[in-house]
Amino acid sequence: MGIILIWTVVLLASAVTLVAVVGAGPAGGAEILDAMGRATGIVGLVMLLLAAALSARVPGFDRWFGGLTRLWKTHHRLGAGSLVLLLAHPVLLALSSSSEGLDAAVALLFPPFDAWQIWSGWLALLLMMVFLAPSFAFFGHPDYRRWKVLHRLAGPAVILALVHAWQYGRTWPADADKWLWLMLASLAVGAVAWRFVFSRRIGRLRYRVAQVVAVANNLVELVLEPAGRRRLRYDAGQFVYMAPFDRSLSAGYGEEHPYTLSSSPDEDGLRIAIKDLGDASRALQSIQPGSRVTIEGPYGRFFPDRAAEKQLWIAGGIGITPFLGRARWLHGRQRRCDVRLVYCVQDEARARFLDELHAIAEEIDDFKVIPHFFYRQGPLDSGFLDSCVPDLAEREAFICGPPGLNSLARRLLIGAGTGRKNIHIEEFELL
Amino acid sequence: MKKLVYTVFIAFWAAIGTLVLINALAPDSAEQVRRDAPASAEPAEYSLSEVAKHATLEDCWMVIEGVVYDVSDYVPRHPAPPAVLEPWCGREATEGMRTKGDSSDHSARAWRMLERYRIGDLRLAERRRGNAR
Repeated sequence: MGIILIWTVVLLASAVTLVAVVGAGPAGGAEILDAMGRATGIVGLVMLLLAAALSARVPGFDRWFGGLTRLWKTHHRLGAGSLVLLLAHPVLLALSSSSEGLDAAVALLFPPFDAWQIWSGWLALLLMMVFLAPSFAFFGHPDYRRWKVLHRLAGPAVILALVHAWQYGRTWPADADKWLWLMLASLAVGAVAWRFVFSRRIGRLRYRVAQVVAVANNLVELVLEPAGRRRLRYDAGQFVYMAPFDRSLSAGYGEEHPYTLSSSPDEDGLRIAIKDLGDASRALQSIQPGSRVTIEGPYGRFFPDRAAEKQLWIAGGIGITPFLGRARWLHGRQRRCDVRLVYCVQDEARARFLDELHAIAEEIDDFKVIPHFFYRQGPLDSGFLDSCVPDLAEREAFICGPPGLNSLARRLLIGAGTGRKNIHIEEFELL
Repeated sequence: MKKLVYTVFIAFWAAIGTLVLINALAPDSAEQVRRDAPASAEPAEYSLSEVAKHATLEDCWMVIEGVVYDVSDYVPRHPAPPAVLEPWCGREATEGMRTKGDSSDHSARAWRMLERYRIGDLRLAERRRGNAR
């Protein structure tokens, strides 16, 4: 629903802009290019401001977008659209004025130094290229830390872009554009203020590492206990942003990363299973018990409030964590359920938590765990699914694994007749 | 999506680079215009009272920094609505050009465009009087 609202705003802004520029009756190539140049500028900035407004990451707010992952995707798409349009904006205007000679086109792009209205636009665009370069992997796969630091340049870029646009508001009727910028800018400023000021003070909960359970040589499960007065309230299968404050860590001190909660909300503390997937998660394998962490969340709505009783869960590798949390919760409550969990892993040695899941399955009715081993059975296929889960198409499906498995499982389920609306995918690779 | 954004990013710099390069290599077009203009033709001279006869939006002359322009053809294309231009038709309009009504000068591009509508100069005597004021 939130996603529809966002794109409606973009469409409305584009429609008003289109009416305004077409209404002015552009005649001839140069004027059409000029109109397009102005329109790309306006719609590009609208998308940039909406992307900024979505960056707030207010816990609970992401539910309107079907979870934080989908919200990030919308943010990412808005960013891409905005960069494409804003790159086209000066080129179109320059091409338009080239009808008065090439020097006019170049003078429009590179005016005298005192034309700060244009230079602020240039600076905003250059900053956008810098802070969006890692997001779109311009120069190879980005380093998480560098990406996060560079992305902060979005703040100055947005301000400079607004300064630039404020000076050229002549496309929309009356001062309507100024109202538009004021409205969207306050949304964006509110979002950034939440993220960098309020969320640090009230959004982050203090916890302490009580225990570090080595599940395998590249996987630990942290047991956290509250160190402040407030505790996290969450649903099974949601995720949080965790920042560790242990000076002995080799990387990632104070750096926040998203992790799925593997505990049941009924437990006193939190449990987070962390696989060694990068510098920061590798360092966490040796975090000292007793060290402090902050937790911000919860995010995500992998399991909607009203899910069907008959469910199929498909997990791939470390994608087992949300299901583990959910299974522990069902187990704790002795909830009646009808769940088939297909757990896809490379081989037996990598089937983490399988023993615990089997034990849970023994104790609650109609919860069945079906392991699938790649080295023996090859990729997941419809034959396997049909034989293990005969009533496949009647079940609401939840998939969490690496992107390859997610899309394969989705294809298989659609082929088996599961409705698209009944397939939920949680991606833990955020972008 | 990554490919699309990267392609546009490269296309952007290619377009900017091409524009700058061609402009640097091309002969100065302003000079070209001056050279092309017939040398013999004396610029016409007009008095303020002659200019004042062209004070409507359909027939709009303006005196800007001692030069007379017939901007009638440009009025419909001007970004600000015609009502803003109307009071300046048929008279000395340097102030309007220099201040846009809020003390910001027109762009270099606008000044260059204006040159296309030049029809002559203000009569010397009146120009002097204007300077003395």
